[in-house]
Amino acid sequence: MHPESRIPLTLLGGFLGSGKTTWLRHQLHAGEMAQSLVIVNEAADVPVDDMLLSRSSEIRLLAGGCACCNGKDRLIALLREVCDERVDESFTGAQHTHLVLETSGLADPGPIVDAIRTDAVLMHHILVREIVVVVDALHGIAYLKSEPLGRSQVETADQLIITKADAVDDAALRQLSATLNVINPGAKLSATVMGSEVTLPEAGDADAVQLPAFNSSGSGANPVISTSIRLAGGTDWTAFGLWLSALLHARGDDVVRVKGVIRTPSGRLLLQSVRKIVQSPEILPDSVTARKDENCIVFIGKGFKRRDLQMSLKRFAGLHCEGADVQDQREAT
Amino acid sequence: MCANCGFPASPGHWTEAGIDERFDRIQSRYRRASLLRNVLRSHGLTAHDDASTPGITISTQTGNQEIAQDLSAVWEVAERMTGRPVDPLASQFICEEEDAGEAGPPRIEGMSG
Repeated sequence: MHPESRIPLTLLGGFLGSGKTTWLRHQLHAGEMAQSLVIVNEAADVPVDDMLLSRSSEIRLLAGGCACCNGKDRLIALLREVCDERVDESFTGAQHTHLVLETSGLADPGPIVDAIRTDAVLMHHILVREIVVVVDALHGIAYLKSEPLGRSQVETADQLIITKADAVDDAALRQLSATLNVINPGAKLSATVMGSEVTLPEAGDADAVQLPAFNSSGSGANPVISTSIRLAGGTDWTAFGLWLSALLHARGDDVVRVKGVIRTPSGRLLLQSVRKIVQSPEILPDSVTARKDENCIVFIGKGFKRRDLQMSLKRFAGLHCEGADVQDQREAT
Repeated sequence: MCANCGFPASPGHWTEAGIDERFDRIQSRYRRASLLRNVLRSHGLTAHDDASTPGITISTQTGNQEIAQDLSAVWEVAERMTGRPVDPLASQFICEEEDAGEAGPPRIEGMSG
């Protein structure tokens, strides 16, 4: 695999009105993503977001359908078109170094990433580098409590950005941070005001909000948990890969996110999955300071417990976990 | 493209990402096949990988065979052949009894593919 030859894609998600476009607009204004092709998806037939993003190198609009469901085919077609342009020597338009896909507030990033990573053409041209999800400081807790989609967006993120941080006091920011950390402990967390980064208050002893469990109909008793396991030293990467591939095949709808850094014969390997699809792993620099997280794998999902994972690793793949320093970090009950 | 079986070269499965050296790759394929045989035995299946041609051959006890290109395909083939997924969180793999994971039909070696 040669992931460096593929064009990186950042997927920007977040619930309705959470501030996705504002954040992206600031990044473009500040010169970040300057050479990006921005794809804006709006579920509504009358789009407005594209008008706010005039500083981007180029914008393409995908309106009138959500990219994770009824607009998925059109998204794939659009991305294939972009890929064709990359390899077409006669194409005279702008060549981009980065793709940004701003999803609609009704989109679940998981199915979109799945669709891109499994498409026979796109998998060779596009590398989904990061899922950025913005969370509204003012209303975030409310939709995390009431909207399964809002929570699903947070669960799948690599980076969580609290927007509108000036709209609430420090205590509310601490509580939201603690709650987000419980839902997705592996995500990088930051805060912004109008897209500009601001300092998050220290977490201190803030308690996370107790969130109700959702079932497939939107409410119920099957809790989403975030838990982590630490593989014992001398990890057998072949055995772990075999186990995880089977787990994601059988339980990929429940195991929403897996992420961690694993020591392999080639070095430290960053492993990430969204539901059934595993991103092309990247080899990380072998720095001493980063080794404390090595072989610690985070699992977010439902229908399993940490003990189940540990026992299964042992019986299915002959792998052992270190038990003393791992804990269930979250159970949404 | 493999001259023997016609499988096109794959862009690489994620499980193969951590192994660069040729010798390590061969060793890993043998190890993978051995682990697969242990797991698939309880489903009445067996796996064979000669580590030279692409793919892993999955066989039933009645001789039905299918070549899977990578591990993701292995689990799809196994589910299709047996009618149920190979689930690492099934009770046989997460219960406490020491012999729970060993149940199942005797091991049958597959033919090379």
